[in-house]
Amino acid sequence: MPVDDRPGDGDGNEATTGTPLISGTNVVKEYQTGGQTIRALKRIDFRIDEADSVAIVGPSGSGKSTLLNLLGLLDVPTSGEIRLRKQDVATLSDSERNRERKQTIGFVFQSYYLIPTLTALENVEMPRMLDRTPKKTRDRATELLERVGLSDRLDHAPDELSGGQKQRVAIARSLINDPELVLADEPTGNLDRDTGDQILDLFEELRAEEGVAVVMVTHDEYVAEAADRVVNLVDGTLRAPDTATRADGGHRDRE
Amino acid sequence: MEGIVTGNSDDRDRSSMSRRRRIAALVPTVLLARRNVSRATARSTLAVVAVVIGVVAVGAIGTGGEAFKQNQVAAYEGFGGTATVHPVVYPEAEDPNRNFSDAEVARMRRAAAGATVIPVVQPFGSLVRTPAGETVVTAQVKGIEDPGTFYETANGSVPENWRRSVIVGSRIAADNDIEPGDQITVVVEDELEGTFPVAAVLRPQGFADPLSADQSVFVPVSRFDDATYDEVIVRVDPSAGSVAGAATAIETEFNSRRRTVSVQQVQQQREQFEQSFETVNQFLIGVGAISLLVAGVTIANTLLMSVIEREGEIGVLRAVGYTRGAVVRMLVAEATILGIIGGVIGVPIALGIGAVINVFLVGDPLAFTRAGLQYVGIGCLFGITTALVAGVYPAWKAANKRPAEAFD
Repeated sequence: MPVDDRPGDGDGNEATTGTPLISGTNVVKEYQTGGQTIRALKRIDFRIDEADSVAIVGPSGSGKSTLLNLLGLLDVPTSGEIRLRKQDVATLSDSERNRERKQTIGFVFQSYYLIPTLTALENVEMPRMLDRTPKKTRDRATELLERVGLSDRLDHAPDELSGGQKQRVAIARSLINDPELVLADEPTGNLDRDTGDQILDLFEELRAEEGVAVVMVTHDEYVAEAADRVVNLVDGTLRAPDTATRADGGHRDRE
Repeated sequence: MEGIVTGNSDDRDRSSMSRRRRIAALVPTVLLARRNVSRATARSTLAVVAVVIGVVAVGAIGTGGEAFKQNQVAAYEGFGGTATVHPVVYPEAEDPNRNFSDAEVARMRRAAAGATVIPVVQPFGSLVRTPAGETVVTAQVKGIEDPGTFYETANGSVPENWRRSVIVGSRIAADNDIEPGDQITVVVEDELEGTFPVAAVLRPQGFADPLSADQSVFVPVSRFDDATYDEVIVRVDPSAGSVAGAATAIETEFNSRRRTVSVQQVQQQREQFEQSFETVNQFLIGVGAISLLVAGVTIANTLLMSVIEREGEIGVLRAVGYTRGAVVRMLVAEATILGIIGGVIGVPIALGIGAVINVFLVGDPLAFTRAGLQYVGIGCLFGITTALVAGVYPAWKAANKRPAEAFD
């Protein structure tokens, strides 16, 4: 669970026993920008378990993207330790991290980042295109697109799809390698409320049915309500949320 | 851009897709690259055009140059067994206009046994007038025993005992409408002046002819009182022997103590020509190759722009587990595809231009030489290689961009 591991957190949602999927201890990330060192993350601890549903909420510049990149093994911390299960990611080579990322983590982005020259189906297959298992990949991709309700859009190009449909394709893509964790960066940022709700429902279904941990980064409190747990990222530090936003125990109250 | 079949029938889709799918699985990188190339059509087209220009430049200069060489070398045909002998004059010599005497010509005949030795008089201060009375300034008057031993006639014939008529070279005849039977006036200062009937017009000989027969009016050598010769032509039937032997024999005979004659074989001139031509042609091809380098720069530029535009997308590729190598391969494949398309379009154009040049210079559109075709191949290969190399830097740059940065 991505909160400070301070004793007496009072969150009531303390990590359960067992090996966390991914955890961080004293994680610091600094950037060099124009001769200045910017400390984007200031000694944070976090923990994400299997089938977790977490929202990281923070204003822009709070270090959300930085944290997302670290969780996604796209970057390594300046100091501190991130463990994927029991493995310290700092000890992994570039290609090992690449492989772990491919096997364990799926990504969903605000701007979808579908490849415009590929069809919906091919976009879903894309992460596995270089694996020589075309039949298996195609079957799984078709299944996933059916799963996200796009069985009639398999051969459509991204620009023939609505925003919500694009995000569904992106979600299907994030699941092609059967990951244990899906990282979603403002997944509803470009969508209207209704479509956004559908996407959030989809995440919830996937989590419940496939046991995938979902971590959403957002600045939208409404989106955060969809998660089981919410943490605030402010100025490079993680904080337990105000009780006000947690009044409902972290479950979104809709309809 | 070609999309995958968008039909609704699952069965039809499956069969057509599985085949495509299999092909795509073999070269997924190429599939991605090919789709990407077709994305920015205008930009890709421009890059391809640059490659086409380069390939055509190298190919057409190569084949065209070869055609020109064939055309030029053809002029040397028939003179393969010919050498010319000139007197060597030293500045301190008492007679700066030294000529060959009858005795010296006889010595040459003895030395070069078996060769035809033809002494030629090339007087200064000669003049030729047409039947209409016009002076032909370009005509050279030459005294020779029997041009029939050396040249074939196009019109008329050389008389058995040639004493009273003249024989006219092809260009002089053509430019001045001179035909056998016409009367032309020949004046040689201090030597002869008179009007002679034209007995024959010679066939065109080309520029390699050591006597420049096309520009000449031949007069029987007996018309010159005091026969000394400016030049001697030595000829050996190439099927019977080599003129080199005769040339060496004459040089040995005359140049043993001091170099008094200079012998030049037409064959050597031909080799010199071919050599210097080769140099010029390679220089021109080098210039053509520069246009391919420019094409390379265009491709690098195209790809750099494309990579910047697709930063997020490439970041996603890296995020979903594509290695740096895979990203580099994909982008290099894109550049190479541009090069290959350029080559595929450029080669036929280069061959087409080559064929047109062949028609004009050699008379046969398919008269490609091996070297000419090689130049087309080299142009094409160089084009593709340039494209590939041009792709490396943008690809490397894109692949080394931290994927993290793509999402900020």
